[in-house]
Amino acid sequence: MKADQRDVLSGVYYIDGDVAAGYGALAAGCKFIAGYPITPSTEAAEAFARIAPKSGALFIQMEDELASVSAIVGGAWAGAKTMTITSGPGYSLMMETVGFGAMLETPFVLLNIQRGGPSTGVPTKTGQADMMQARWGSHGDYGLIAIAPESPQELFDYTIKAFNLAEKYRCPVMIMSDECVGHMTEKVVIPPAEEIEIEPRRWYTGSPDEYVPFKPDKDLVPRMVKAGSGHKLYISGRLHDERGYPVDDEHYKLKYVRRLVDKIKCNKDKIIELKEEQIDDADVIVVSYGISSRVAIRGIEMARERGIKVGSLRLVTVWPFPDERITELAKKVKALVVPEINYGQVVFDVARCCHGNANVVLVPHGGAGVHVPDDICDAIVSVAKEERKIEEVIEFKTKLEISVFGGGLKSKE
Amino acid sequence: MNEIITTFAQALEKADVKPDQVCVPSDILFEPETVKRFGFDYFHTTRGRAIAFGTGLKLANPALKVVPFAGDLMTIGGNHFVHGSRRNMELTVICINNFVYRKIAGKSAPSAAQKFSPYSTFEEPFNIPHLGNSCSAIYTARWTALHTEELAASIAEALGKKGLSVIEILAPGPDYYTGISKVNVDLVRFYYDNSEIRNNEDPKNVGIKPDSRIIVGKFTSKERPTFIDQYNAQLSSVLGEKFIPHGIRSGADPGGKNGGD
Repeated sequence: MKADQRDVLSGVYYIDGDVAAGYGALAAGCKFIAGYPITPSTEAAEAFARIAPKSGALFIQMEDELASVSAIVGGAWAGAKTMTITSGPGYSLMMETVGFGAMLETPFVLLNIQRGGPSTGVPTKTGQADMMQARWGSHGDYGLIAIAPESPQELFDYTIKAFNLAEKYRCPVMIMSDECVGHMTEKVVIPPAEEIEIEPRRWYTGSPDEYVPFKPDKDLVPRMVKAGSGHKLYISGRLHDERGYPVDDEHYKLKYVRRLVDKIKCNKDKIIELKEEQIDDADVIVVSYGISSRVAIRGIEMARERGIKVGSLRLVTVWPFPDERITELAKKVKALVVPEINYGQVVFDVARCCHGNANVVLVPHGGAGVHVPDDICDAIVSVAKEERKIEEVIEFKTKLEISVFGGGLKSKE
Repeated sequence: MNEIITTFAQALEKADVKPDQVCVPSDILFEPETVKRFGFDYFHTTRGRAIAFGTGLKLANPALKVVPFAGDLMTIGGNHFVHGSRRNMELTVICINNFVYRKIAGKSAPSAAQKFSPYSTFEEPFNIPHLGNSCSAIYTARWTALHTEELAASIAEALGKKGLSVIEILAPGPDYYTGISKVNVDLVRFYYDNSEIRNNEDPKNVGIKPDSRIIVGKFTSKERPTFIDQYNAQLSSVLGEKFIPHGIRSGADPGGKNGGD
């Protein structure tokens, strides 16, 4: 299905990533955003609030993040495509309802413009330290999807993709951007509506009396109806059977919760998007996502200038994680270098998938800024020279950290 | 609980509202078996979020009748009630008060309070109709679960009103707190016997106090534009013809019975 012309502000813009995400949401067919202002995500909400009334969509500022995310889950069940927008502290508050939405198999999008944490942290500057919270933040087992855009153009494009994935797999989709991309102003091209592909909701079209809310199709995803259309819905955050009625026993726990995890796991080949460059001859691969990928481009160039064969694997979707691809690459290369703006999150999943076949190096950054390309280059160069196989993740101290704490790769010995 | 749902079903009939237009989001403390039988859509949400979830349902499809049933409304969901009333979101809020936080008239309510506060409680309870009224809710009433006729009439009246109504129902906690359902019957009887109907009483005088009669009745009823009315008025005054009023595209089901855009 193509996007609706009324929702697409086709043209060439010079806007920041937050605004691009707001435009992307409208283009994707989002009719309802509930949010609570928080730096550095506010511009996205403002952009949507400005354009939504002209195309029949609505933005409401709720009383808090708990209300915002609850309202968009409700809105999704009433038939709309919905999203909420937040950052660090707000994201933490939303976690209970993220699990609730996953349990109800509700399609909705959560835009997190990450900032420096913990707590109030550095509201106006960047961070990538919510990546594990995105995956495991709510209690219980469930699957979800997280995407990490690296430019304002991508914030537009991948916001649309996030809505499409949410509809297709009926799960929460997190757009895990960050302050740097959110506040970066670049050229953004919004194509004509007929070039934008939109995933419609998986409507159930049979007789209302025969509707079983949680009976899955072959791809493990059930079909949805609108609230208030005569289907006598009983929808509960409790463990439930296919009819939606609460059940307590192990049998259903195994069957139902397993499917919440499996519907993402079994479809992961269709969900995962990776961008690979100069992988074929590489001895070292930089695995990165979001803004760190852009900084890594220069780090890789510098290392190539110094004669190191280094390639790049960019995780566009971070969750679900591309286990098989990393395992495959780890067998071919000496090391994987993982720059991220935190003290080690995604790097541990990279290490898990390497099975000891390659060294794994974390290039951490404390946040409130991005890596210096030299740090990534230095990490690549030292690890390319490293003869030993090291079992644990090696933490490469960046220039800033060396000056503050001392150390580096060699301090490990 | 189940009796309240039965009374609610009678109210729907009285107000001539078809069950299939009705959505009942509830929070955790309210989960009666009978909701499966009456043909409306039921959502058992998270603790305290019935009004927030209901706000989403209503805004995404203004054609729905949304009736949040709340059990932990005044605690974890208090903020949503305050803001829902202030916005005049079109919701008929049914608040089931089982005195988890209060002993009444010298008798301790056999509810969770006994487990959490084995030595009874001493905190002042909310005066729910007064709070709702101060936050500009358009309709406030209180009944015990045994005032079935009056309660059904109140719910029916509230369903016909445009804005946030709140009806407090005094009812014992669910059976699994009290163990024996006879206690429930005794207690709700006690509420009923100790109540005094005072319609149109100023809500500030209806606080529930130990050792005094429980004031029940329909307290206030007024008119005020709803959130969606105010939104449409404000935006069309600023944007003029560029504005597509809310509910035109997202509302009454543009895509047929199940679909939409």
